[in-house]
Amino acid sequence: MPQTTRTDKEGEIWAIGGGKGGTGKTFFASSTGTQLAKKGRRVVLVDMDIGGANLHSFFGINRPQKSLTSFFETSAKLIDLAVNTDLPNMSLITGDIHSIASDNIKFVQKLRLFRQIMKLNVQNVIIDLGAGSHANTLDTFLIADKMIVVLVPEVIAVENMYHFIKNTLFRKVKLTLKDYGFKEIVQHIWDRRQSYGIKNLKDLIDYLKASFSYIGTILDGELANFKIHLVVNMVRSNQDILLGASIKSVLAKFLGVPILYSGYVEYNDVVWKSVRERKPFMLNYTATGCAKQIETIVDNIMHGREVNVPGGYG
Amino acid sequence: MTDEDIKRWQKTLEVGPNASVLDIKNSYLRLRRLYGGGSIVLESLEDEFPEKNRMKILVDLEEAYTRLLELRRNRAALGRAAGTAPDAGNVDGSGDGEAAPGTPFSIEEIIYSGPALRRIRERLGIELTEISKQLKLRAELLKAMEEEKFEVLPEEIYLKTHLKNIAACLDLKPGKVVDDYLGRFREWKRTK
Repeated sequence: MPQTTRTDKEGEIWAIGGGKGGTGKTFFASSTGTQLAKKGRRVVLVDMDIGGANLHSFFGINRPQKSLTSFFETSAKLIDLAVNTDLPNMSLITGDIHSIASDNIKFVQKLRLFRQIMKLNVQNVIIDLGAGSHANTLDTFLIADKMIVVLVPEVIAVENMYHFIKNTLFRKVKLTLKDYGFKEIVQHIWDRRQSYGIKNLKDLIDYLKASFSYIGTILDGELANFKIHLVVNMVRSNQDILLGASIKSVLAKFLGVPILYSGYVEYNDVVWKSVRERKPFMLNYTATGCAKQIETIVDNIMHGREVNVPGGYG
Repeated sequence: MTDEDIKRWQKTLEVGPNASVLDIKNSYLRLRRLYGGGSIVLESLEDEFPEKNRMKILVDLEEAYTRLLELRRNRAALGRAAGTAPDAGNVDGSGDGEAAPGTPFSIEEIIYSGPALRRIRERLGIELTEISKQLKLRAELLKAMEEEKFEVLPEEIYLKTHLKNIAACLDLKPGKVVDDYLGRFREWKRTK
């Protein structure tokens, strides 16, 4: 990952990922952007679901005239690709809807994209990521100040999410150590994990820390801010709500990754209706429980807070 | 026990230093259900984490829960001994099951009267307001139940539900709490 330094720390990048498709990442990205804009913040939404971009549809835009395709295929500047939305302080950079697949993006193009994302003169950049755990997706996730995972209460979604978080952490460790000149060490040890008695990623990190004290110091520093904001979408019961708390517990105990359970959004057909109508949900269904829940989640993410759950965290 | 132990137990139970007894209990029950097996979260990780890890967590949870509650009870007892706890020195005269500060409960012998329920609650270090918040019941009603002001209490059918919920908060057998308390309630009704 390019460890480009942010020049404007006023603005915050929020990236929304999660591994599985169909969990409502794009719906959540569009709603989060709208909510932040409603609060008066200057927002740019970036659709990075390369190969499956459809964030524009959530704002009723049919065939965007400008898209990331131009960024990758010509020398267009990112900011010039932004299109207007219904809110004056929010614009949208539509995704690549043409040829390029995510794995075709060259390293240099990626660097250029990240640099320009970081330079966007807004208060919030919201990045909508595609499904899967491709390196480009993980790298984009890792440039964010707030890494947000959207999940639905299903086994496969939990599996994919776990895979996604694990890969993100692994990549973070690898890239961090690469920056400090230990390029191959992580992969080398991981490839021979059996002989080192390493069963999982947490074992690997513990091993690295125990074996090389300087690496321990580096990782402690770099991973101190590694935390994931979790959103559980389409909940239908208290048990579904508790899933977020369970994942928080399990990932802390088994992977050592801190999770902030930002909140949940109840299942409601009105969301489906809104998507079909191609209108921004947070402008048209403000009185619904879902909208209130999204407002709470956005506030929680902004302030690093967590949702209250039945049987709470104490 | 050292401060380190306490921090470790709090981490195991995922509670903060200011967690109430009810918070501790709720967290314990939630985690026991989670690590007891059958959760989709654990199913997703099955390949990576052997059964013995899960079992160890269950053992740790038991230890952390027991020790943290013990700590609270001792603190509450010390508070009473020092006269700082609410209602200290104003123990109701019915006398059932009252033990010296710090000694374990002998719950089986207790008749769950209102004052007995109050003493158990205080011994656990639980404030009325906590139960009120958890059960969404007015604190005045809970107080009236503890003081056995039967004339202001609701119908028996509602009372029964409240008693069951209170019993769950205090880790008591709901059946016995309901029977004992309603027995006293009916007796009052009969003689009034």
